Amino acid sequence: MAAIELQSLCFSYPDNRRALHDVSLRIEAGESVGLIGPNGAGKSTLLMHLNGILPEAPSGQPSVFIQGVPITKSSLRQVRREVGLLFQDPDDQIFCPTVYEDVAFGPRQFGLLEKDVNDLVREALIKVGLRGSDARSPHHLSAGEKQRVCLAGILVCRPKILALDEPTRGLDPRGKRQLLSLLRSIPATKIIATHDLELVVGLCRRAIVLDEGQIVADGPAMTILSNEELMLAHGLEKPHILKHAHPHGNIP
Amino acid sequence: MHHDFLDRFSRLDSPVHRLPAALKMAAALVCILIVVITPLRTIYPFPVVAFLLILVIALSRVPALFFLKRLLVFEPFVIVVAAASLLQPGGGMTCASIIIKSTLSLTTVLLVSNTTPFTELLGVLRRIHTPPAFLTLIALMYRYVFVLIDEMQRMKRARLSRTFVTRGMGSWRSISVIIGQLFLRSTERAERIFAAMSARGWR
Amino acid sequence: MHIPDGFLDTKTIVATSALSLLGVGRALRVLKTQMSPRKVPLMGLAAAFIFVAQMINFPVAGGTSGHLLGAVLVAVLLGPSEAILVMSVVLIVQCFLFADGGVLALGANIFNMGILATLGGYYLYRLVALPIKSERGKFVAVAFAAWFSTVLAAVCCTGELAWSGTVPWSVGFPAMTGIHILIGVGEALITALVLAAIYATRPDLLSIGAASGAEGEARPLGGVLINGSLIIIGLVLFVLPFASRWPDGLEKVASAIGFNSKVLARPLIPSPLADYHVPGVGSLSRATALAGIVGAILVFGISFVLARIVISKPKDRIS
Repeated sequence: MAAIELQSLCFSYPDNRRALHDVSLRIEAGESVGLIGPNGAGKSTLLMHLNGILPEAPSGQPSVFIQGVPITKSSLRQVRREVGLLFQDPDDQIFCPTVYEDVAFGPRQFGLLEKDVNDLVREALIKVGLRGSDARSPHHLSAGEKQRVCLAGILVCRPKILALDEPTRGLDPRGKRQLLSLLRSIPATKIIATHDLELVVGLCRRAIVLDEGQIVADGPAMTILSNEELMLAHGLEKPHILKHAHPHGNIP
Repeated sequence: MHHDFLDRFSRLDSPVHRLPAALKMAAALVCILIVVITPLRTIYPFPVVAFLLILVIALSRVPALFFLKRLLVFEPFVIVVAAASLLQPGGGMTCASIIIKSTLSLTTVLLVSNTTPFTELLGVLRRIHTPPAFLTLIALMYRYVFVLIDEMQRMKRARLSRTFVTRGMGSWRSISVIIGQLFLRSTERAERIFAAMSARGWR
Repeated sequence: MHIPDGFLDTKTIVATSALSLLGVGRALRVLKTQMSPRKVPLMGLAAAFIFVAQMINFPVAGGTSGHLLGAVLVAVLLGPSEAILVMSVVLIVQCFLFADGGVLALGANIFNMGILATLGGYYLYRLVALPIKSERGKFVAVAFAAWFSTVLAAVCCTGELAWSGTVPWSVGFPAMTGIHILIGVGEALITALVLAAIYATRPDLLSIGAASGAEGEARPLGGVLINGSLIIIGLVLFVLPFASRWPDGLEKVASAIGFNSKVLARPLIPSPLADYHVPGVGSLSRATALAGIVGAILVFGISFVLARIVISKPKDRIS
């Protein structure tokens, strides 16, 4: 049973923009997959299908299966517990007045007792390196800290699958390195939509290239990223890290 | 992040800050009730309240200058009404009454809001059974005010760097466009927030 | 127009608080039954938006600046009950965080700016827009409704101050309401311009209010009646006792019918200075009322011209 399975997924926006066209893929438990492609390829749209945000009205014919379970109206709640989705803008995702309240949001929605919520929140904050930040207000956080709060808010429900949309956007190099080691320490299945090809090199064994709503390549990350022709053809380029030897060793 | 003007002193440390929010709010309410209901003729509560307020301000570590500045900024409304109240028999008393009462009440409210984190104020409202829908709105509003102020400042700067005309109808037009843009971005952000809330199990 | 503490007497505080609780409570109940969860973040952000928009200074000739109230703006964009909640939330936060408006006066401020301005302006817009088909016409209606909402709130505020014995009506009416007849023009202008800016990029958003029953499905009549009653009670308590004294024509008509107009002239609960007229200022009220009528016509005219400038004719637009 695959962790994530898409069967000929098609999706168009209300203004008839075709976003995804016949997308099929299979991701096994524990895999780390980088989803890359030019702007407008449909990466965010694809991720939003993984926990039922899209389509807005689930149709009778599900094309997305999470751990074998098709995403339907009745399975939404369960799916959302299993799949943690990280959106592009942390400000959209941290919507409570304090860090604690925000991380506690998920567990509270699933009806856990306040004592258990407390333990889970503390644990999640420690995991992302924000111990003691409970009472802080979101607008006092740096970009990296916001990103980590968002992650804590997802990890707190112990999802089996992480779907991340541009997790390193707006982070400085130190923030990126911290995020990378944090993600490495989480054993969940990961699918990461990103422009940050160095992140893909550092974290993902497998890469999928999406362009104009269709999968154009799917295979080992190193092979795909080293294929200069393929990369250029789809608005990407071969990451520098694969072009030159890094002074601190090839892969950080 | 220079919008701390909204939330500058509420997280300092002082004996006043450490008091429970419910106590502060209840005390403030009682104080304001006394000030508002007591007629000015019964003079004695007023200096007592004033003295207490000054004492608490001193203990709170919030700079007195902050209160002074706020009190000196007289709203046009207050000026007009105070002047208008003079035009009646006993008007002097009425005018003095409204000025003294509003000053004392204003200081009381500012004292509470600047020695108590906003989330604690919300917590008290929750405990007195304010409708949850209302509380959610207040919390969301507070959370995103800062984000919107940032966005607006960015838009203003962008406009300024492209505009040569800064007076007359031109500026009304550009301010309105900015406000319109702000609303659009707010609705789009609200959609994304809704998606994020749903993704984390909200119903 | 935020009334601080100490300006209103006890009976006014009690009356306005009761009316506000009823109005806001009603709006909450209405939305609970028909709200989609999607609206919650929208309303929260709308409240943040209004808060920020109210902070903006619009330069007015002579070094002063005007501010947006936004009640009609929100009502047209989100719906009247939604707007009541949004405006109330803004007023509450302004009160508690900034002491912008008194704590005990919150009832009055919410009633004036959150309920009366919103509903009065919105219903007027719907009424005026009823026979209008063109988009330009609708903008004229909105601008006029926005002006009206400001004036209406000011009139009620004046009444509350008079009822409290703070400022006699004959002084307050020309001062407060007179000034707001002018300030309302700014509100009309800003509301129309902002709506036009939104309409230019996202015309569909102007039907959000429609979706909640504004243009389309019939809102239950009961709702309108209840909201209407709130407005009428407020006006009867705070405005009628004072306003009914100056139209001589009305009194003549009343006595011709055999109705004792003196009954109308006495406020429901007498306030000490209700009958007081500052000598020489009495006629100012009449002048202000006239100015109000002239102002209304002017604003209608200005809105018309404005709509011309701001909305391009359908055939001019490149589709």
